[in-house]
Amino acid sequence: MFIHLDEVYYTYNIDMPFETKALKNINLEIQKGEFIGLIGHTGCGKTTLIQHFNGLLTPTSGKVYVEGIDTSKKGIDLKSIRRKVGLVFQYPENQLFEETVYKEVAFGPKKFGLPEDKIENRVREALKMVDLDYNLYAERSPFSLSGGEMRRVALASILSIRPEMLVLDEPTANLDPQSRNKILSEIKAIHNNFGITIVLVSHNMEKIAEMVDRLLVMHKGEIIMDSSPRDIFANHANDLLQVGLGLPQVTQCMYELKERGKKVYTGVLTVDEAAKEILSRMKSPTVSRK
Amino acid sequence: MKISRNISFGQYIPRDSLIHNLDPRVKILSCLVMIISLFLITQFWGYLILCSFTLGGIIISQIHPKFIFQGLRNILFIIIFTLIIHLFMTEGEVLYQVSFLKITKEGLINGLLISFRLFILILVTYLLTLTTSPISLTDGIERLLSFFRFMGIPAHEIAMMMTIALRFIPTLLEETEKIMKAQISRGADFDSGNIFERAKSLIPLLIPLFVNAFRRADELAIAMEARCYRGGEGRTNYRELKIRKTDILTFAFTIIITFVTSIMF
Repeated sequence: MFIHLDEVYYTYNIDMPFETKALKNINLEIQKGEFIGLIGHTGCGKTTLIQHFNGLLTPTSGKVYVEGIDTSKKGIDLKSIRRKVGLVFQYPENQLFEETVYKEVAFGPKKFGLPEDKIENRVREALKMVDLDYNLYAERSPFSLSGGEMRRVALASILSIRPEMLVLDEPTANLDPQSRNKILSEIKAIHNNFGITIVLVSHNMEKIAEMVDRLLVMHKGEIIMDSSPRDIFANHANDLLQVGLGLPQVTQCMYELKERGKKVYTGVLTVDEAAKEILSRMKSPTVSRK
Repeated sequence: MKISRNISFGQYIPRDSLIHNLDPRVKILSCLVMIISLFLITQFWGYLILCSFTLGGIIISQIHPKFIFQGLRNILFIIIFTLIIHLFMTEGEVLYQVSFLKITKEGLINGLLISFRLFILILVTYLLTLTTSPISLTDGIERLLSFFRFMGIPAHEIAMMMTIALRFIPTLLEETEKIMKAQISRGADFDSGNIFERAKSLIPLLIPLFVNAFRRADELAIAMEARCYRGGEGRTNYRELKIRKTDILTFAFTIIITFVTSIMF
């Protein structure tokens, strides 16, 4: 077990007039190699939750274990936890500060004490993972790049640490569809090729349905669903709508077909699957048309 | 990583009380009068009266004293520091002596007086910012400053700058915390090393902060221009400030109390 949360509660501004309970009784286990999606309304505690994964926040009550290490224990090496769990914040391009892309991506490995001669390799590797050409980009200023490129540099600057787990907070927010698809396919490739555990926070139901193996749904500081996306979209659509979340468009389409009396299976996640499902339910369509 | 919580002192706490509903101009001027008289008074009794007056204000304001004293903790160091400096650095009748350090009677009295003065000073300004929203505070300042317009003081512009600055303090704090966390996740270390290393470790924090602040200033300027903002001339207010009976009474009461204590003590 890689990460284990045991009855975690977290409260902001304890004893202040603006006290808010951000997390309530979170119990969660994450295994190595999982690809997990995390969805929920704005302000439901997603960002607070993921900050517990690398010890940036420690629970008000309850325990968080990263590879068996209790993050709230005094005197533990938090740096080693942060090297294992790479956290990419929302709008990570806002954290860029170096003169060149190379220095930016090299910052993490350097801070974690990697020898100089190995750093270049790490930078090359990380830039390749986000599909930026080392020769073209290494010496450019990160501030001269486009929004999508900046975000990929920011992502590379976490990947260069070679984390065992990657947590991404809405990595595609505010990007155009093309950059969005590019980043998501890179994340998928990182998962497939390197076996890195991934937690992806997103509002994009279509993509999340397609990509992840396991889906967590949060509502008002609690995890209300934890299952495969197929199970959640097939069987709990009403609960999802009730907490203000949507369905992928194809799934919604299937639900509407069902409502109109067509006996279709609603747990489809992609357009291809939907097409197959609809065709299989139609009685030899070519014949009936003649 | 608890920056934003540490700097929450003096933050406006909305309540529906007599003090909250006072005209901001009355509150600012009362504060000013109190502060001036604090510096005129030289005896304990005077401070005691002003202190109980302020404490009375706190009770009326319905703000839990916990919040006020929570904020005071941050200032406690300065008060104790002043007290110690006064204790040991004033010449006079020696009360107690350890090798070259000596505590004098004058030092003790002066130190306590100054500490008391500081304490009340902070309490009063606290009461002001805790009970007055930043918007009405700047409204009040604008109206007060406009008396000096004939001297060429751009009252509206100063007030606008203050509003914007106040408005962005929490935003910047939030952003500082976020960038700090992002850099810590990348291996940055803000709390270890000697002073030079620490200063250097701030670069990954300060550069993004500045870049974002300038970008935000740019966007704000464009947004203001898009709404045809063009300075203070001929501009009217959505909330008109009106002096009511309670304002006059409170102000008169404050004046009398401070005036009498200043003269007597």
